[in-house]
Amino acid sequence: MNLSRRGFLTLSSVFCSTLLVGNYVDAAKGKYATLIDIDKCDGCKDQSIPLCVKACREYNKDRFPEPQKPILPYWPRKTYEDWSDKRDKIDTLTPYNWIFIQKVKIENEEIFIPRRCMHCDNPPCVRQCPFGALNKYPEGNSVINDKLCFGGAKCRDVCPWHIPQRQAGVGIYLKILPKYAGGGVMYKCDLCKDRIKKGQEPACVVACKERLGDKAVYTFGIREHIYDLALKRAKNEGLYIYGDKQNGGTSTLYLSKMPFEKINNILKALKERFQMPVEVENKIESTFNPIGKVALLSGAISIVGAIVGAIKSKKNPQKEQNNEK
Amino acid sequence: MKSKIKRHNKIELLEHWSIALSGIVLLFTGLGCLPLYKRYYISEIPGFAWTADFYNVTLIHYFASIVFLCGVVFHIFYHGVRKDFALLPKKGDISNGIKVLLAMIGIGKEPPSEKYLPEQRIAYVGIGFIIILLLITGIIKILKNLEWILLSPEVESINTIIHTLSGFVFLLAFIVHVVTVLIFPSNWPLLKSMFTGYVDEEYAKHRHALWYNKIKRD
Repeated sequence: MNLSRRGFLTLSSVFCSTLLVGNYVDAAKGKYATLIDIDKCDGCKDQSIPLCVKACREYNKDRFPEPQKPILPYWPRKTYEDWSDKRDKIDTLTPYNWIFIQKVKIENEEIFIPRRCMHCDNPPCVRQCPFGALNKYPEGNSVINDKLCFGGAKCRDVCPWHIPQRQAGVGIYLKILPKYAGGGVMYKCDLCKDRIKKGQEPACVVACKERLGDKAVYTFGIREHIYDLALKRAKNEGLYIYGDKQNGGTSTLYLSKMPFEKINNILKALKERFQMPVEVENKIESTFNPIGKVALLSGAISIVGAIVGAIKSKKNPQKEQNNEK
Repeated sequence: MKSKIKRHNKIELLEHWSIALSGIVLLFTGLGCLPLYKRYYISEIPGFAWTADFYNVTLIHYFASIVFLCGVVFHIFYHGVRKDFALLPKKGDISNGIKVLLAMIGIGKEPPSEKYLPEQRIAYVGIGFIIILLLITGIIKILKNLEWILLSPEVESINTIIHTLSGFVFLLAFIVHVVTVLIFPSNWPLLKSMFTGYVDEEYAKHRHALWYNKIKRD
């Protein structure tokens, strides 16, 4: 290999400047965000099923899993996750219910929290899926590719809110090693990916607006506008925000007159499956990325060392006398 | 005392072992990045509880990648600049390689070899290709997590799948490499030289006649 000294210097300066500039590159935050005003949600008390939940189920019903039965347990374990007999369950997240209204009683007041995927800015589920079955789309939504998903449920483990839910007996794992690897397909809200791509609002947002008009719980729109609106309202009305800082920022902001610490303390005490921790560290950003930078820099230094070492050893061939080339 | 011939210098030994040991850690933690260890009770083995947490496993994977990356790029650039190409395949390596492999199991006579055996040169290129694939896709993963590069969903998926699949091929290649060294006594002097840097002169004369004659000629 012939690399001139000038060529090498150019290469390494380009590499180092990429390392530096990289710190200032803005995160890919996505186009849209949702504001969820908890104080406005009454859980659709007058309805048999909250309208946002109903709309989500209706819009996504063709994508719900139809498992092949009998379902094999996850060998060597004797268990498997099957929600197909509980399709009507609407009070939690399941592969057949991608949004639910969490009811919490605080100081004799009942509050209703619509819960679904937060659509993080730097989503651990997307970054850590070993099969590339999760993607972050330019609209800001994290989407599970049900054709690629093996159902290992890693996304649920690394998600700070444990949102994705697994259905066994469906998916690509059935065609590979159904007994020994994989466990189905994971399901969660994808913010109605086809709708928002066309510039339409997600089904849950539309349904809520149809019922409550200007007083709708959800406001969906351009991310910057939604963030501005949430921050302004929080400041002017003394409200608390959730979702702007958690996990390094998300595309879902909650507003509440009740502090989220208080809400989560109750959820924690009740041992709820879906809690709202206030301190949510994005370990990809806080832990992995600094090591990633060290790896890249070390690689660059190693290249320099190798080239310098090789040139030096060529100049002193007698040292290598016994070495065959 | 038997007369010895230098086969590897310290730099080569360091390259081999840094790549090998970090490679083992990467393989173990790479498998742990798949949802396997909890399911298969590995995390319940005393001392392995940490493998139940993907963040722990990924953290060690990241650390080991530093050593692996440095080892591999050093190897490529150091020997590339020095033009040490003895490990690159030559004409006739496939047929000679088969003869060497057959001789290992007692069929036929082994042809005289150069410093490296013909099938070693082929394996080197094969494993090298897998390692480069793993490194490139791994670096892309780092860059993507840093958000220094933005990938389309399709490219992101393809990159991840290539990394995971080539990880499996690397595991397979690693097993073949270790097993071939360990089960055939004819390869044990090579294993020893990977620790000491030297082989016995008799061994070199007998098995690596072309190399041996060249050294003696020079």
